[in-house]
Amino acid sequence: MKNNNPLSPHIQIYKWHVSSLVSISHRISGVINYLFFVFLSIWILFSFLFIETYEIFFIFYNSILGKFFVTGIIWSFSFQILSEIRHLFWDFGYGFDLKISKITGLVVIFGSLILTISILLIGRQII
Amino acid sequence: MVQINLPKNSEIQKGKYYKDKTGSKNLRKINVYRWDPSTGENPRIDTYEIDMDNCPSKVLDILNKIKNEIDPSLAYRRSCSHGVCGSCAMNMDGKNGLACTKPHSEIKGDINIYPLPHLKVLKDLIGDLSTLYKQYESVQPWLKTSKKTDKENLQSKEDRSKLDGLYECIMCACCSTACPSYWWNGDKYLGPAVLLQAYRWIVDSRDEDRKERLKKVADELKLYRCHTIMNCTNACPKGLNPAKAIAEIKKMLATSNV
Repeated sequence: MKNNNPLSPHIQIYKWHVSSLVSISHRISGVINYLFFVFLSIWILFSFLFIETYEIFFIFYNSILGKFFVTGIIWSFSFQILSEIRHLFWDFGYGFDLKISKITGLVVIFGSLILTISILLIGRQII
Repeated sequence: MVQINLPKNSEIQKGKYYKDKTGSKNLRKINVYRWDPSTGENPRIDTYEIDMDNCPSKVLDILNKIKNEIDPSLAYRRSCSHGVCGSCAMNMDGKNGLACTKPHSEIKGDINIYPLPHLKVLKDLIGDLSTLYKQYESVQPWLKTSKKTDKENLQSKEDRSKLDGLYECIMCACCSTACPSYWWNGDKYLGPAVLLQAYRWIVDSRDEDRKERLKKVADELKLYRCHTIMNCTNACPKGLNPAKAIAEIKKMLATSNV
C-alpha cells in the first residue's frame, strides 16, 4: 500500500465514557502513586539523616501547594484502591455486563471523592 | 507506540459546504470525513445540509441520500443494510457502529461521520482492514477435529449454549477499532474482535485443538494488551461482549496449566 494514505482520526474524535475514563485515570493514579513512593522514601531518608530538613517539609505541607499535593495523593490512592478492587472482580470474570461496569465505574469515581474527603476529615479529627 | 497526534498528511482540513437545494425547513448538518487518493491533498470534512423530512431513519439512509442526490463521489462500504454483513461499520457521533442500524434520531446536534478509527484510509469512509483479517487468519478460525463420521458432530445443549454471544459476531471491526490498546499496538495485539473469535473456537466442545489454541494466544502482546477499557463492548453493534471473552481466555490461562 502507498504510504501517503492518511490515518483516520482516533482519540481526537472518540467519545469518552465511564469505563475508558476510569481506565486512563487508573493508569495515571498508578504512576502518581509510584512517584509518590519515591518522594516518600526521600522524605523519610532526609528526616532520618538531616533533622533540620524537617522544617522545610513542614513548611511545604502547610503551604497551599503542599495541601493540594497531599489531597491529590489521597485521591490518587483512594482511586487506585477502588479501581483495583473493580479489576479484581473482573479477573474473576464478574462485572462485564455493560450496565454493571458503568455502575461500578461511577462507584469508583464518586467513591474515591468520598473517600478522599473522609480521610481528610478524619486526619483533621473532624469526624 | 502511543501517538496521540495525527501524522502531518492526516490532519483534517475544512472542506466544501453543500447548501440545501430542496427548500426544506427540517434541515440537519452532516459532517463527513473525505479523502480522495487521486488528489494528494489532506483529508477534509465536507458538510451537507440534509432534508430530514424526506430521509428514512438510519444514518446509512443519510449517506445514501448524499450519494444519490447531492454528491455521488462519496465512497463508503455497505451491503445488506440490516446489520448482518458488517460492511457499513464507521464512527458516528464519536462512537463506532453500523450505519444501517444506528438511528440518526439518537444523535443530538450535527452528525459527525468518520471512518473507523486508526486505520489507513483507502478513500473517504473506507478504512483498510487487511491487518485485522490477517490476525483473524492467525487464530485459525475453523474446526479442528480428527473425528471422521458420516453423521453430524453432535453437541449437548449446554456445550452449544457456550457459543451464544460469540457466534453472532459479524467481524465488522467496530470493537477492535474502538480499542485504544489496538490503536497503539494494532500490529501485535490481536484486538477484541479476533480474540472473541479465538475464544469462540477455544470453548467449542467439538474442537480438539483447545490447548494449542490457548498456547498460541498466551502472549504478552497478543492477549495481555487488553486492559479492560471496555470500549469494545460499548461499541459492539450486535450487543456482544468481547471484553468478557478476553477475560475468560485470561482466566483459562491462569487456571489451567497450558
